[in-house]
Amino acid sequence: MMKLDPKIPPGPLETKWDRRRFSEKLVSPTNKRKITVIVVGTGLAGASAASTLGQLGYQVECFCFQDSPRRAHSIAAQGGINAAKNYQDDGDSVGRLFYDTIKGGDFRSREANVYRLAQVSTQIIDQCVALGIPFAREYGGQLANRSFGGVQVSRTFYCRGQTGQQLLLGAYSALCWQIDRGQVIMRPRTEMLDLVVVDGRARGIVVRDLVTGRLSVQTAHAVVLATGGYSNVYYLSTNASGSNVTATYRAWKQGAAFANPCFTQIHPTAIPPGDACQAKLTLMSESLRNDGRLWVPKMARDQRSSEDIPEAERDYFLERRYPRFGNLAPRDLASRAVKAVCDEGRGVGPGGHGVYLDFADVIAQQGVDVVRERYGNLFDMYQRITGEDAYRVPMRIYPAPHYTMGGLWVDYNLMSTIPGLFVIGEANFADHGANRLGASSLMQGLADGYFILPYTISHYLATVALSLIRDDHKESRAALRRVTSRISRLLNSKGYRTAASFHREVGKLLWNHCGMSRNAEGLKSALTAIPLLREEFWRNVMVPGSGEVFNQELEYAGRVADYLEFAELLCHDALHREESCGAHFREEYQRDEGEPQRDDGRFAHVAAWESREGESPILHKEPLAFEFVQPTTRSYQ
Amino acid sequence: MRFTLNIWRQNGPDEKGRFVTYEAHDVSSGMSFLEMLDSVNQGLIAKGEEPVAFEQDCREGICGSCSLVINGIPHGPDRGITSCQLYMRRFSDGAVITIEPWRARAFPIIKDLVVDRRALDRIMQAGGYISVHTGGAVDGNVLLISKDQAETAMDAASCIGCGACVAACKNASAMLFVAAKVSHLALLPQGKPERTRRVKTMLEAMDREGFGSCGNQNECEAVCPKRISVRFIARFNREYLRAGIVESGLPAEPESPHAEST
Amino acid sequence: MALSGLLLVSYVGFHMLGNLQVFEGAHALNGYAAFLRDMPILLWTARIGLLSLAVLHIVLAIRLTLRNRRARPVAYAVREYRQASFASRTMAASGLVLLLFIIFHLLHLTAGVIDPSFADRLDAEGYRDVYGEIVHAFQNPFIAALYLAGQLGLGLHLSHAVTSSLQTLGLEHAAFNRFFKTAGPTVALVVVLGNVAIILAVFLRIVRG
Repeated sequence: MMKLDPKIPPGPLETKWDRRRFSEKLVSPTNKRKITVIVVGTGLAGASAASTLGQLGYQVECFCFQDSPRRAHSIAAQGGINAAKNYQDDGDSVGRLFYDTIKGGDFRSREANVYRLAQVSTQIIDQCVALGIPFAREYGGQLANRSFGGVQVSRTFYCRGQTGQQLLLGAYSALCWQIDRGQVIMRPRTEMLDLVVVDGRARGIVVRDLVTGRLSVQTAHAVVLATGGYSNVYYLSTNASGSNVTATYRAWKQGAAFANPCFTQIHPTAIPPGDACQAKLTLMSESLRNDGRLWVPKMARDQRSSEDIPEAERDYFLERRYPRFGNLAPRDLASRAVKAVCDEGRGVGPGGHGVYLDFADVIAQQGVDVVRERYGNLFDMYQRITGEDAYRVPMRIYPAPHYTMGGLWVDYNLMSTIPGLFVIGEANFADHGANRLGASSLMQGLADGYFILPYTISHYLATVALSLIRDDHKESRAALRRVTSRISRLLNSKGYRTAASFHREVGKLLWNHCGMSRNAEGLKSALTAIPLLREEFWRNVMVPGSGEVFNQELEYAGRVADYLEFAELLCHDALHREESCGAHFREEYQRDEGEPQRDDGRFAHVAAWESREGESPILHKEPLAFEFVQPTTRSYQ
Repeated sequence: MRFTLNIWRQNGPDEKGRFVTYEAHDVSSGMSFLEMLDSVNQGLIAKGEEPVAFEQDCREGICGSCSLVINGIPHGPDRGITSCQLYMRRFSDGAVITIEPWRARAFPIIKDLVVDRRALDRIMQAGGYISVHTGGAVDGNVLLISKDQAETAMDAASCIGCGACVAACKNASAMLFVAAKVSHLALLPQGKPERTRRVKTMLEAMDREGFGSCGNQNECEAVCPKRISVRFIARFNREYLRAGIVESGLPAEPESPHAEST
Repeated sequence: MALSGLLLVSYVGFHMLGNLQVFEGAHALNGYAAFLRDMPILLWTARIGLLSLAVLHIVLAIRLTLRNRRARPVAYAVREYRQASFASRTMAASGLVLLLFIIFHLLHLTAGVIDPSFADRLDAEGYRDVYGEIVHAFQNPFIAALYLAGQLGLGLHLSHAVTSSLQTLGLEHAAFNRFFKTAGPTVALVVVLGNVAIILAVFLRIVRG
């Protein structure tokens, strides 16, 4: 029976983390040298964790499936990173960042975790500056800030529209330092395919060398997963095409609880889908909403072009529905509002999948040069993809699956239900509750990797006596067998359908039934359809080539196979949560005006799912107690 | 639209490669170049043939994975973009398109259009970082950095490490890549303490990896998806000269105190 | 490479300026030549210096070229250049042309091996008749054409070389970049025009013996 002990330190919120750090045991420098830690994934969380663990003196084995750690998908984050520095003196504080984040998450996250996140946020900025990250500066030489997605203070630090890139390159350079020192062994183009659990503890992983196809077992004293989110289960998402659920899903199969999988964030400002062959949705930074105004024609099926629609016949629907926040309303509300107006037939562009994001006002007020300086790269990107000039005609945007708040369940120490298996960054469920605010994923990834995990993992390593296990331990061999048989099943299927066609199909199924809004009937039909699709996959999928070589299609087919199982878990969770909160909107639970109806009485808990072979997963609940803040109706009106 | 594709196929680093011709039918002008390749591959897979291996990930021009030489130009005919940001409307219907991998000794071919670019990582590991321990940093506003300085550093830092500069260079030199990193860090006060060592170790690493030398032809700048300027190469050269001067001013190896008595 | 190149370029510049004295008549040019020969130490120091610079430049060039060839063992099937100038892409070829030309030039006018008829002739003032030698040489269409071809190689080489050297030496500044960029073509143009002027002036009988 799975036990969910969040291990939150008692006492005042402000000192929980300090006290935990003080009470934790340390590993002596001589012992650190004898300890190996595996880090899977080299995004913000993974790279920062691996480099910090290396600095501390641990032997780190670091893996990524990309050809270089610098290509992890954190690189694509555009907007910025939050920190409660209050450099602008506009009323920000750790407490306010904490409250904004927990309220933004619709009171479905742990107070203690979120408070700690807000606390370390300030250290992150200092660390990043020290690493040489060229944050935007004021003329006076101080760090510049902007306000970002759903908050009323300017606490977002940024590097043009490439903040994620710069933060990742900073973490990557820190990683390079440790590789140079020999503290980190970096293994790019190596994919984790299973977890090795010995005597109930995570002791290693099975990896496939993507160049030679060779499978091997890597053992260690602890395993850290920093493998990102699973938005790609929707097929069309803003994620990189390589982003996948395999590592976390395989860990789930080995006994780690999966928490809140149905909390998937749909980002409001992506470029609308155009083509049937489209492989991904391109995100436009949310910062565009700082100056752009969203509108649709008041009349349904209005065929006029945007400039022919007079001001009086335009509906600035976010400003109308959320007068206090206007176009800066949080992502979940904005996305659903966009969907709502499109469902009314007022969408614009091909298929009515889109709304205008109009910069005419700000261009008139502040000039085209100001807009070009702020968003030039985004406007260029938009023009390349759509062939339209957004300086002259309004952009069209549409929501796209973007970030997944759900992930492997972790306690306050970021350890999963399998001792020795730590999960950081987007891969864990942690800090964002039911919805993530803009510019806080970078914050969380780096907080976990630089400042939290290195402390908590040391405590674990100091308190358990672990003997080395051999690569041919029986659990290692069992894990290796699982992977081998799965790969040969894929290669021997020799059907006629490509893995991509199954991926597209399951993605569409989820988008329709478990996307921006969900209902019991749709979820149940998805739960019936997914197993059938999965069965067909194993019967009819075609994977050319062999396993002992570089074989991109084999890599992909393995990931799709996991999506086809994971999609079911997603729907189970969405079905169980009979309330609307954050990004999870159940049509049955809404107030008259289409506003979500949260149910704190029944659902103020983390839903943690346990895997059972061949049966439906079991639900465990971690109740969420709110000692310091009062859950309120999350109103942005 | 339809296209004739001449694609380089090669099974491994030591195998012989050759061009294979494929026809791409039913291509829409709004398709990206990589989506067009996807659709060719879908056809191949359905027939049980091995798809063309090519590298891609974010598909929005920032991860630096994609690496195609399209009709003789890295990342294709448009400036300031990566292959994944190229759209088929850029080509005329019926065109013949030749697709090759990055070609350089330092980038051995793994398969078809996929090359091994770890040489760039090894250059970074030789010194492309600031040695700063986690947790010991001072407040971010303690060192003021002028806006211009920060912006110039950002221009250099925007390198995505795709290797197009190497692919385009007649000499397969990685100078623009190295220069961008050295300049980025040398421009910021935080990077100054290590600048002398950094520029030397990174250059040595570049030479070790078998890249060619810079001939100042500026073709790298012309294909760089982030339009990184060759002015950073001049800055790099300055840094290198400076390192030579500064280093000669340092004390030589201290004499061993026991040298005289033995 | 850049340093030895720039020093050689400065020699080429002085060489051209000195030779322009051909327009001032036999007296000036022969006097200038005699002035140079009157200081054997300086002359031979310069000659040895130039020779070693040239050898250094060539050795470095060969080494770099070989290394650069090795850096791309398999060539592209299709290759298009966007920005790299023709001159920059043909440095090895133009350098080779230049080397052959210089060897010919030295054998011809310095050592007098190619056409010994003028080698030791003296002018009215008892100086070696360099002026007469030049006039004699460039009136010959083959020799003139050969020298013009040499100038083509020189111009091509210099137009990339000078700018490239400045870049290699790290000279870069927002305010002066245009100057640096045009330095190569400008130097090349001036030197080539000066030299070509001499050749054509003699060939077209503007300057006569």
